Amino acid sequence: MLMALIALIGAFLSLYLTLFKLGYIGTLACGTGSCETVQLSKWGDFFGVPVAAWGVGYYVVVLALAFAGVQERFADSPRLTSALVVVTGAGLLFSIWLTYLELFVIHALCRWCLGSAAITVVLFGLAAWDWRVERNALRAER
Amino acid sequence: MVKPTPSKGKRKQPQRTKNSTRIFYLALAVVAIAGIGALSYMSRRPADREVSPVDSTLPKVQSNGYLIGSAGAPLEVIEFGDFECPSCARFATLTEPDMRARLVDKGIIRFRFIDFPLSMHRNTWPASRAAACADEQGKFWEMHDQLFETQDQWNGEATNNPNAIFKQLAGKIGLNQQQFDQCVDSKKTQAKIQAHAELAMQQHIAATPSFIIGGKIVEGPRPYDEFKAIVDSALARSGSPVAIPADSGAKKTGRSAKAPSR
Repeated sequence: MLMALIALIGAFLSLYLTLFKLGYIGTLACGTGSCETVQLSKWGDFFGVPVAAWGVGYYVVVLALAFAGVQERFADSPRLTSALVVVTGAGLLFSIWLTYLELFVIHALCRWCLGSAAITVVLFGLAAWDWRVERNALRAER
Repeated sequence: MVKPTPSKGKRKQPQRTKNSTRIFYLALAVVAIAGIGALSYMSRRPADREVSPVDSTLPKVQSNGYLIGSAGAPLEVIEFGDFECPSCARFATLTEPDMRARLVDKGIIRFRFIDFPLSMHRNTWPASRAAACADEQGKFWEMHDQLFETQDQWNGEATNNPNAIFKQLAGKIGLNQQQFDQCVDSKKTQAKIQAHAELAMQQHIAATPSFIIGGKIVEGPRPYDEFKAIVDSALARSGSPVAIPADSGAKKTGRSAKAPSR
């Protein structure tokens, strides 16, 4: 449940960043902040699609999986739990790479991007914890 | 060690599960509503994207900013700038001297400045008008440089009467004082500045300084080397020679035959 909530927050955050990147949101500014620097750098796109849009996709997938987990039908499904670990693990690795780029290549830190990175850490932590709990439960049942 | 797991708990306490599911859906709805609300609020702030104050009663004029450099240069770089914006001043004082000496004067680019006065700056409109008044006497770029160099003396924090300082600057760069004073006081260049601001809006410029280099919008002041690299790649894309020898005027004329991209 917590995962679904956090994923939804993440989805809105990356949706904001996507709209910002596409120019639908944002104020006129003198000079540019770090978020602009990061987003307008050549690393702002991944396979031709804004990184933030990939983020939206990622969070929607996590949200869907976590939401399914809440439904009685799928509750305790080990496959679902494993899928969440894999997806959030991939998200975490991607975020680590992006944060590395911000720190050491672009030399600018976008706080919204860091917020998203923090969310991916929490999501992976929750997924891993859930996976462990479930594994222990299965063992206990046997 | 027997530790009740959440999943087991779910099965043992259906009532509790029901309640927590209800709370979950409620929380999900709250987050969704808050998120949609925040996003629509942020996208619905047209006032911030507008230039103020715009006087719609003024007759529209056609103006495309101020140009420096050779008409035959293979690339035109456009800057949308605000005279009171510190980032623009940084570009004007740190990068622009190099840019003019190494790119504009050598015929590699021509450079166009278009005013984009932002509403957050109190004295930027008078500054743009003063620059337009200097342009009347053929000294826009001299005034442009003076305005950026002395920005801290006439900006909104420094004074309520920036025109007094602009008049001093006019004397310094050798303008006809009476003509300049009259021009500044009459605000007769207002419509021209509005036309410039409109150009910026049409291009969806979101920050100053913004540059259009080879069809791409580049935001923020860049150090010379970075600026030059962007110009080089724009030249390479347009098929113009990147490394242009500084000497020959003949080559310059030769290049002008290859119509500029804009």
